[in-house]
Amino acid sequence: MTKRPFLGWFASPSILIAFGITASVLAIVQYSLRAHVPGSIDPGGFTLANFATLWHVAYGLVFLNSLLLCIWTALFALLIGYPLAYAMVRARSLSLRSAILLISLTPLFLGEIVRTYSWMIVLGNRGFLNSVLLQTGLIERPINLMFTMSGVVIALVHFTLPIVVVMLAAALSHIDRNLERAATSLGAGRIRVFLTVTLPLSIPGVVAATSTAFAWTFSAFATPQMIGGGQVQTISTMVYQVGFASFNFPLAASLSLMGLLFAVAVLAIFNTGMRQLERHGAH
Amino acid sequence: MLIDTAQASAQQTADAPAVRVEGVSKSFAGSVALEPISMRIERGEFLTLLGPSGCGKTTLLNLIAGFLEADQGELYIHDKPVTRVPPYQREIGIVFQNYALFPHMSVARNVGYGLRTRGVPKAEAERRVREALALVKLEDFADRRPRQLSGGQQQRVALARALVIRPRVLLLDEPFSALDRNLRAAMQVELREIQTSLGLTTVFVTHDQGEALSMSDRIAVMSRATIRQIGTPSEIYDHPQNHFVASFVGDANMFRATLLEAEGSDARLKLGETEARITSFQTDLPAPGPVTLFVRPEHCHLAEPGTPGTIPATVALSVYQGSHTELHVDCPLAEGGRAMLRVPSRTSVAPGEPLAIGLAESGAAVFGAED
Repeated sequence: MTKRPFLGWFASPSILIAFGITASVLAIVQYSLRAHVPGSIDPGGFTLANFATLWHVAYGLVFLNSLLLCIWTALFALLIGYPLAYAMVRARSLSLRSAILLISLTPLFLGEIVRTYSWMIVLGNRGFLNSVLLQTGLIERPINLMFTMSGVVIALVHFTLPIVVVMLAAALSHIDRNLERAATSLGAGRIRVFLTVTLPLSIPGVVAATSTAFAWTFSAFATPQMIGGGQVQTISTMVYQVGFASFNFPLAASLSLMGLLFAVAVLAIFNTGMRQLERHGAH
Repeated sequence: MLIDTAQASAQQTADAPAVRVEGVSKSFAGSVALEPISMRIERGEFLTLLGPSGCGKTTLLNLIAGFLEADQGELYIHDKPVTRVPPYQREIGIVFQNYALFPHMSVARNVGYGLRTRGVPKAEAERRVREALALVKLEDFADRRPRQLSGGQQQRVALARALVIRPRVLLLDEPFSALDRNLRAAMQVELREIQTSLGLTTVFVTHDQGEALSMSDRIAVMSRATIRQIGTPSEIYDHPQNHFVASFVGDANMFRATLLEAEGSDARLKLGETEARITSFQTDLPAPGPVTLFVRPEHCHLAEPGTPGTIPATVALSVYQGSHTELHVDCPLAEGGRAMLRVPSRTSVAPGEPLAIGLAESGAAVFGAED
């Protein structure tokens, strides 16, 4: 056995964090099992009533809505992020590569609130986007983007794009260029090389990036809250509403717990499906 | 009449070299990767590009493959200009140093890739894949993935994949460097057999001079972005034309000398305190003045210290090699202060013992400073 003298030191911060997360999840679990006492923020005795309350079409629709939002966001982030990542990895000029990286990363530098407010300015009926489209005569009436699913998806794609680009770029840069050269020498044109070599080999990166975009969108709060303005309900905005508008902390806790399980389940299904595809698709 | 013309033109094409390079050069961001180079590679020939890293051999290979575009000059494959033809239309097979097998495809899918891009009908493609795998003795591995194969097997797959498209030229980019020694020797023999039996024009890139000498029909020795000498292995080994080729291929003893006079191939040299006469294999000797005298160890022998025309030295190390012993000697006249002799194993010499290096009458050459 080799000696790893710093292992303890390196591991200790992660143990602290793991402890913190476990403690807070346990607190949520504990809350979710307590009865709500109307007019009090202190919970009552142990009960399963909260989960029974959640077994209702209204909540089901919120879960479905969250799922749709995640799917659309991940899909568009992927469609925009893949070409960006590809260009970033393959561009010959260093300045072009840096420019792409910098532009794709800017959403990370803006705070969530600033970013969301900016989108409200852009997406509003008299906002930047509609003004430009009206001025150029492309549309006759403003498109409703604020307080719609589309508007929330646009803002969330912007939010998740950096991580998608970075993860895809990492995956693409690990593909041996000689594989593409070999395919070329064997008579494959650019498109064929991409479809038969580059794309299949980047699938693990696509899975990782999509999962992350999915998880980020699932946990996003400020963007759906502000741009959705109550018209686009997600699990996180619902948790906020139940917890801080109705002060029903036990119900909010069980809602977040179910949301967490839901996200984990969806990601597990997605990853299993992609792995099957990878295993059988390439034969 | 029509048939005659067709035959005549077919004849003409058949006589044309497989590859003709005319004044092709390449620079990257201002630094010259390849000086203008002209050469011919005949059909069925096994030509090796030999040189140290950064000598331009890989650049030349990539230019032939079409992965790089030449700055100047024209490249012909089977007499057709291909300088601006993209790599996927050049009908060239390549085996990469790391084999570059598609990890997400089975061995059969890898080998069949070039047939699918060409739209070869399925039944014929399957037959040709089987034949190619049989050629490299991997019939039973068709359904494996590349990562389930050993290095030698992966290399055979890479070779089969390149051969199955019946390329006009096969390019090999240091294909043996990742193999261990025994496997490497076996693969070299096997590759050469397959290449000869198919009559396949092959360009082989390596930095290993032993590999180059044993495998090639001709070797192009490269350094500093240009070809320093091109010829058969024995021409390169026995008659190197310049200092670089002489020292890069095989063992060489180089002595500092002054050329006193030259007549034809005969030269009179001042070697330190003494004078020596040699008959060079060169037809052109440099002008009288400071030169380098080149002699292979097998053209040197042990002599009595003080014999006129010999070079004084002291034994530094004797290395037993079975059939002979290598004597590494300290020699003030030698470049780097060291020279090497091969003597019969029975010769007993102790380190520190003074001796003299005698020169054979032939097998030597003198290189001027600019060589």
